[in-house]
Amino acid sequence: MKGRNLLAMLLLVAVLITACAPAAPEEPAEPPAVAEPTTAAEPAATDAPVAEGWTFPTEDVTLEIWWHEYGPFTAYMEEMIPKYMEMHPNVTINATKVSSADLNQKLSAAIATGTGPDILDQDASYYVQYYEKGVLEPLNLEVWGAKSYEEVAGNYLPGGADAGTFDEKIYALPYQGNSMSLWISNKLFEDAGLDPVNDAPKTWEDMINICPKLKVVKDGVTVQKAFDFPYHSQRWQLQQFQPLTEQFGGELLSEDGKTAALNSPEAVEALKQWKRVTEACGDPKTTMNTPSNPNQDFIDGRLAMWITGPWATPQIAASEFVGEDFTVVGLPQVDPTNPRTMVYGWEWAVNADRPEINKQVAWDFIKFVLSSPEEWLAKAGFVQPVEGLLETETAKTFPFLSVHLKDVETASWYIRSGYVNEISLAVGAAIDSVVYDNADPQAALDAAQAEAENAMK
Amino acid sequence: MNKSAFNLRLVRGAKKIFIYAALALAAFVSLLPYYWMVSSAFKTESNIFRLPIQWFPNPINWMSFVNGWQAQNFPRYFFNSFFVSIAITLGTLVFASLAGYSLAKFRYPGQNIFFILILSTMMLPLEVTMVPLFLLIKNFEWQNTYQGLIVPFLVEGFGVFLMRQFMLGIPRDLIEAARIDGASEMRILVQIVMPLCKPALAALGVFTFREAWDMYIWPLIIVSKDDLRTVPLGISLFMGNYGTAWDQLMAIATVGTLPMILLFFLLQRAFIQGITMTGIKG
Amino acid sequence: MDLSQKKSPIQRINVPHFLKLSAPRQQKLFGYLILLPTLVIIFLFRFYPMMQAFYISMTDFDLISPPKFVGLYNFIDLLKDPLFLNSAKISLTYVVFAVVPTWIISLGLAVLFNRNIPFKNLIRSAIFMPVIMPAVVMALVWNFMYHQQGVVNVILGWLQISPIPWLRSSSTAIWAIILIGIWRASPYFMVIFLAGLQAIPEDFMDAAQIDGANSWQTFWYVTLPLLKPTTLLVVVMSIITAMKVFAVPLIMTHGGPANSTRVLPLFIYQTAFEFFDMGRASAMSIFLFAAVMIVTLFQIRIFSTGEYE
Repeated sequence: MKGRNLLAMLLLVAVLITACAPAAPEEPAEPPAVAEPTTAAEPAATDAPVAEGWTFPTEDVTLEIWWHEYGPFTAYMEEMIPKYMEMHPNVTINATKVSSADLNQKLSAAIATGTGPDILDQDASYYVQYYEKGVLEPLNLEVWGAKSYEEVAGNYLPGGADAGTFDEKIYALPYQGNSMSLWISNKLFEDAGLDPVNDAPKTWEDMINICPKLKVVKDGVTVQKAFDFPYHSQRWQLQQFQPLTEQFGGELLSEDGKTAALNSPEAVEALKQWKRVTEACGDPKTTMNTPSNPNQDFIDGRLAMWITGPWATPQIAASEFVGEDFTVVGLPQVDPTNPRTMVYGWEWAVNADRPEINKQVAWDFIKFVLSSPEEWLAKAGFVQPVEGLLETETAKTFPFLSVHLKDVETASWYIRSGYVNEISLAVGAAIDSVVYDNADPQAALDAAQAEAENAMK
Repeated sequence: MNKSAFNLRLVRGAKKIFIYAALALAAFVSLLPYYWMVSSAFKTESNIFRLPIQWFPNPINWMSFVNGWQAQNFPRYFFNSFFVSIAITLGTLVFASLAGYSLAKFRYPGQNIFFILILSTMMLPLEVTMVPLFLLIKNFEWQNTYQGLIVPFLVEGFGVFLMRQFMLGIPRDLIEAARIDGASEMRILVQIVMPLCKPALAALGVFTFREAWDMYIWPLIIVSKDDLRTVPLGISLFMGNYGTAWDQLMAIATVGTLPMILLFFLLQRAFIQGITMTGIKG
Repeated sequence: MDLSQKKSPIQRINVPHFLKLSAPRQQKLFGYLILLPTLVIIFLFRFYPMMQAFYISMTDFDLISPPKFVGLYNFIDLLKDPLFLNSAKISLTYVVFAVVPTWIISLGLAVLFNRNIPFKNLIRSAIFMPVIMPAVVMALVWNFMYHQQGVVNVILGWLQISPIPWLRSSSTAIWAIILIGIWRASPYFMVIFLAGLQAIPEDFMDAAQIDGANSWQTFWYVTLPLLKPTTLLVVVMSIITAMKVFAVPLIMTHGGPANSTRVLPLFIYQTAFEFFDMGRASAMSIFLFAAVMIVTLFQIRIFSTGEYE
């Protein structure tokens, strides 16, 4: 019995220690490595006027908002929420941050049991499903103070608000719109005697030509890769396969999103090109990337060129090897006169399964929180696909913002279909089998198409 | 010394060396990933994924623990994890022992059916029972509460199964003798049977604590308040789409394993050899 | 020994004798009563949701709109689905090749630790480490260790074996995962076997040796039969846990490369939460459930001789 008593006592002591430990001092999150805006804060962010025709409710309202955890993003939200609560003392906002890998599962289970939050945060491709199943509440024009949805969409770059628009109504708005562009590791280029700006490939053929200078193999081990496509996530694979297919003139999905065309001749060409580029430039077997650290190879200096989005700027700029020594150029093209790129994003939306007053205040809050794209860029490091961002002060200090935005302009949204996950898994499997197992691209994509058709019937 | 005696000693020696080598290999293989986690906690972030691999941290990063600890509300998370895990472990030790004893040493109609039913509850993955369970919890208004985290897992099929199997091995005569001597059922259970179950209880305690401490999906679903988060959920916040603070993650994960190590070390005493069963033949 | 004289606090709260039931009836009642709390908890929080999951398997349920009854449609459709059959096959491979080595290793280690070895506690604690690591961290660490130039290949290099692609090849990825499964489960079941072995009185084994049996014979003819209840536990639990493994494939490979590690639990998770098809996911789980149940009942049959001694 003595051992058990000792054990119980030790555990009790441990519990007491943790319970009585002083609360950790609040540490502000590391700001991203971009300069703070030098101009005064946008007036819109602090005294957003209530739109005419809609009076702010006087009753007590409690909103719940969930978002996916990311240091600068969370810090910015935790700055904005108290501001809003101060402006409207009858509103309480309860925030929960969730790891992004878990957000989907938590949100689905919550919606299934009617315990979802008032304001949703999710990748735009999920909202197709949510819309089709009636989860989303359309933007409230009265609350927003706009006369039409076109007016709201007009603030965005052409097509910027498309991903959240269904049946000509807006159901979700992006706080991030990311195109994926080509990042160059300057040091590795210079070591190979290349100039990061002038020698950066504009076409896939350019890239294949330049790779032998950048790919270093020693004793059968690839110690440095010139370029590699992603293999850590099927979603990333589809995000890069989509523009490649479109560059060859094909479309992965029909206009209405109801049928897939994964094995079209253009898609097969794209997959063949993928393989050619991989063989010349990369070595998928030696990647260190994981879904929660997708840029690892590039950051560690083992990869000379990598396709990723503007949100990677803070992480890459803070890294030891690369630091600020990088260049961003547009996505390589098949035909540079007809550029095709891809944009995806995360959006705010409102849960339709909540009381009317909650939904109204929710849209008002979304309007408030989105009101300063410049602050989003400066503090959260996120690029909103809005007009006029390029002209702000912060934009001038954000590296290569013009390149990112240019790729947004020529972009199609990441495929918008309720079956996006099935399709990405099917395409990913096809790509893997071609690259790892030398499968025939046509056969691999035929199998993917069969899978997709089975899922979409 | 004649030849055969010499050969015998040789064989015995070889056997010993073989055993030690096997154990050393097993210990090495078991420790390697754990060592990797701990050493990563002390490396600077850029060295964690350095190639060729860095076996020993250089330079040593002492701040990962401090930074990681302060990144989220870990004192609270550790308290929650302790509270929930201890409650579940104690509950399991009690209820599984009672149930195991019942199923092992008593005879009543429906007994085997109950046993199979209890076993069957382990065979469906949590993903598909999660939503119905959540709905049930919601009816009790237990989401975002400690009881919501604890009660559904207060006893599980595994615990019952383990105690039942172990108690099957306790000789019936011992119990019968006590009955003849006039002891009550409860007394027999507590004073005779349970002391014989120390190894099983220790094993059950360790495993249940581990499962409870590591529980992830269920707390993820029902907890939406930061002050109810458990340690695994806290650690998950280190991992994002945009990058991971690997050194901090490994540091806190290392700290998170310490309660388990302590528990296991302390309970080793229960795994003493040769539980003697005096009193049977006397 | 006259136990009826000393009344400890425990004794005062037992089943009252005034119920005037016969002794066997009292025992039966006691048996029911102590089972009751567990039965209630498990029935309410496990069995009832399980029945609901059974029902959902016969519906079309996307987690948002109410479920629509479709009868056996999900089951029939699954049997025609090559992805499902592929997942089932991969799961079967995983279970067989992860579980059998686990039995052997865990029993072997338990037997070794049952003797007196120097530094026993220390080595045993070391071997227990795989159980202590949280699943997510374990997956991340192994992911790194399996890298082409990672620890595992480096050690293979010391043994003059050329590097294996591990997670980066559709032929080796599942074996990489199986190895992790064996690594993780062996110490776990070693502890259970150890508990079982320690309960076997030394007297039995001494008696056998006096009768002239060598250690192998003692093991085979005395120890193993007495270990049957523990063995049943290990066999059944190892199969059940192997059939439910999904955190490692989810985090390390997400089912890839080329679907080679898409075990059934992972496919179920994807179907439920990424494809929003809970009905189909539940149906898959029922197939899994049936397989495990059949195997378990079979095991119970085999190992159930000589109980209630």
